[in-house]
Amino acid sequence: MREMTLSELSRLDAAAGEADEVFQMDEDAFRLFYERTARPVWAYLARMTGDARQADDLLQEAYYRLLRAKTTYETETHRRNYLFRIATNLVHDMRRRPRVDAVPLSDDWEHADPRQSDAAGHAARRVDLSRAMARLKPRERELLWLAYAQGSSHQEIAATLRLKTSSIKALLFRARHRLATMLRERES
Amino acid sequence: MSRQSNGYDPCPHEQAIADLVVAGRLLDESDNALRAHAAECRACAETLELARLLQDDQKALCAEAPVPSAGTVWWRATIRARAEAARTAGQPITLLQGIAAATAVGLFVALVGTWWRSVAPGGIWFERFNELLSQSASVPAALALSLLLVLAACLIVAPIAVFLATADFES
Repeated sequence: MREMTLSELSRLDAAAGEADEVFQMDEDAFRLFYERTARPVWAYLARMTGDARQADDLLQEAYYRLLRAKTTYETETHRRNYLFRIATNLVHDMRRRPRVDAVPLSDDWEHADPRQSDAAGHAARRVDLSRAMARLKPRERELLWLAYAQGSSHQEIAATLRLKTSSIKALLFRARHRLATMLRERES
Repeated sequence: MSRQSNGYDPCPHEQAIADLVVAGRLLDESDNALRAHAAECRACAETLELARLLQDDQKALCAEAPVPSAGTVWWRATIRARAEAARTAGQPITLLQGIAAATAVGLFVALVGTWWRSVAPGGIWFERFNELLSQSASVPAALALSLLLVLAACLIVAPIAVFLATADFES
């Protein structure tokens, strides 16, 4: 990265005031919202991409886009749903240009021995889930996570994934049935 | 409430079951009827099992999520917004420099065209040049042509060099 010239620095200073003005919310409101949503969004990104590093990058990008968005939010739930929508779009963009330095999620528990303890058994179930989720279609993964991990309503899922609300129930049923079948196959 | 799903048809109570798991209330005694239903409905049992699994997975991922602090994310966003604002502010200048360079090139091409018309066979300068050459046999034609080419090259390169020297390219 090249050094900045004095004129560029002065231009950055001049633009400093403008940057605060273009953000959706002030810093205090952002902090509160971030504390409530960052971890669930990271978990969503991590499970959708299967890559912890990618989830880190996309998390920062998702909040930046949220701050710069020109959308007005009626409630915090609306804002949170919009954040998940941004995250979903980022994951879709990422699939078009996969990175080479991917870091698979949680290498430590993926190698746990299920016979050792309850914790290991729990870890083994997560490994099974992780592998089965990875075999699902991206849309199925998103549906299942939003519905059962995130607890979104059908309307919220439809808004996040840009689908018709009326089709969510059937799509969710098929995705769930597929995941259940895969998990049963792994157990047997 | 005791509808038996065959595992291939959705059950109307699936959403309620999922909502209970998400709310972490499934073990409450107040939801006995739904719990009893889930025990005998295959679709709801499947929903219950997967919702629990996904909930557990989400909780574990949230616990281990290496998220940066809100202040760090805010600071990075501010820096990036400022850089973008500065870049946006610089765009008109870059555009003007581009227009100036294009105008210089266009002017040069027009001048070369005019010059060529006068120098080309039949042009007034061509005839005068021929006269000059015939009068001065000491200047070889090849040298005169070389001088003209060098002059033309300078006229092409000069505006481009000025543009490159003054342009503010982003890294």
